[in-house]
Amino acid sequence: MERLWLVRWQLLLLPLLLLLLSNCEGRESELNYVTCGSLVKLLNTRHNVRLHSHDVKYGSGSGQQSVTGVESADDANSYWQIRGKPARPCQRGSAIKCGQPIRITHMKTSRNLHTHHFSSPLSNNQEVSAFGENGEGDDLDVWTVQCDGIYWDRDEPVRFKHVGTDVFLGITGEQYGHPIRGQREVHGMSTPNQHNLWRTMEGVFIQPSQEPLRHDEL
Amino acid sequence: MAKKGINIWNVCCLLLYITTAVLASRDFYKILGVSKTATIRDIKKAYRKLALQLHPDRNPDDPKAQDKFADLGAAYEVLSDEEKRKQYDMYGEDGLKEGHHSSHNDIFSSFFGDFGFMFGGNRQQQDRNIPRGNDIVLDLEVTLEEVYSGNFVEVVRNKPVAKEAPGKRKCNCRQEMRTTQLGPGRFQMTQEMVCDECPNVKLVNEERTLEVEIEQGVRDEMEYPFIGEGEPHIDGEPGDLRFRIKVLKHPVFERRGDDLYTNVTISLVEALVGFEMDIVHLDGHKVHIVRDKITKPGARMWKKGEGLPNFDNINIRGSLIITFDVEFPQTQLDDQQKDGIRGILKQGSVQKVYNGLQGY
Repeated sequence: MERLWLVRWQLLLLPLLLLLLSNCEGRESELNYVTCGSLVKLLNTRHNVRLHSHDVKYGSGSGQQSVTGVESADDANSYWQIRGKPARPCQRGSAIKCGQPIRITHMKTSRNLHTHHFSSPLSNNQEVSAFGENGEGDDLDVWTVQCDGIYWDRDEPVRFKHVGTDVFLGITGEQYGHPIRGQREVHGMSTPNQHNLWRTMEGVFIQPSQEPLRHDEL
Repeated sequence: MAKKGINIWNVCCLLLYITTAVLASRDFYKILGVSKTATIRDIKKAYRKLALQLHPDRNPDDPKAQDKFADLGAAYEVLSDEEKRKQYDMYGEDGLKEGHHSSHNDIFSSFFGDFGFMFGGNRQQQDRNIPRGNDIVLDLEVTLEEVYSGNFVEVVRNKPVAKEAPGKRKCNCRQEMRTTQLGPGRFQMTQEMVCDECPNVKLVNEERTLEVEIEQGVRDEMEYPFIGEGEPHIDGEPGDLRFRIKVLKHPVFERRGDDLYTNVTISLVEALVGFEMDIVHLDGHKVHIVRDKITKPGARMWKKGEGLPNFDNINIRGSLIITFDVEFPQTQLDDQQKDGIRGILKQGSVQKVYNGLQGY
């Protein structure tokens, strides 16, 4: 009788040991990186507002769709999709590298985060707009992610540097009046500082998939 | 006690143990309808299909519906986890008792969303007066390989969720007309903002994993909704999260409905004398092509059953249509080669002049 109990005890212990050992292996999960195709909300860490756009055009400058910073956390107009360069799509689910060129596309209007040599309406910095149709604009839609380390970490404040005019996406606190009262001006500034740090908040983060089954005939 | 007695007693105990173990444990592979060598993708696919069929809301007349549904959830929980599956394969269900139980609701909602099935998936029938949060639409790029074989995409959803907070807040604020009496027969109407009092709510970010299936044969612009996974509404229901499929262009195959089109360039020699080749398909299997006759430029070959599976019935497949074009030799021929060719081909001079753009 005692021998039976001993065997059963050993049988239970073995899988437990296996479980423990497997958990100790450090598995490199993509769970904390921002990946290609993900939908994110970007929070400016200095001013505590989210990057936002909407069907409201600038009254000056380029007259294109305006980009602002908003305080609310539950507006779908603050979602942006991370995509690759024009004609060079990034692989869905792959982690974005620091220094990688990307496009930041506004979910609701399918226009790309864009900047150009126009003055911003409140502070006379460089105007940042949302440009293009159906996700396609032009070469001024491309930004590089500036961060420490290899990949863009979801919890890390990063900077976005424009490819073409070399400005950093930022906010200095100027507020609009009617009809977008309280929203902050988003513009391009020439030097990296506390005002141009952003981190991801809410979103839909795509994980890398396995390759579909391949049947190699023997 | 006699030695013989102990042995019989031990054997009886063991037999009892084994039979109860066998009777108590469930065959998870059978419940999901998959083979013992099924991949994680097969298991997810089987669960998703069966979950829709077996949900108790869908089977109100079946008294066993809850149990069947619970069995399904348990089967998925074990077979979808690498470690648990290994233990189950070795020791059966009894070898698993430790560390059990994510609720079946969690598993179900990772495939279909929060309110997944409660209203038969038909949101429009709900009371229109309940305010709803914004919907989110995510363009999901898929490759033609994924359309052919199917795939699952895991996604982490971080969203604000309303949580109870201390105190009260104003809610359902609206403008109302108030009539005040100033004197006999004199009234004044004023507009006033009136609010109800509700329990205070704060938004807290929460994370969960969702599983999106790329079904075989899925078409461009098709959507996979996850009910309740959109933006929250502080006074009402959350909106939905929808994945909109965008099929990417492929360097080898072009899709037209369920058919696939591809082009092959052959040499002039191959066009004249015939050739044999393989085309590697989207899942790696080879499509064998043999030609022993002359192949004209622009000639087409139809391979039935080598197209994409039809979304509504994956047992029906479209065709693969191959169009051949011919590459002529790069080097010029010398006189001797020219004579040789004239001799071999024995084709007279043709030189027919006609309007090729108008079908003459």
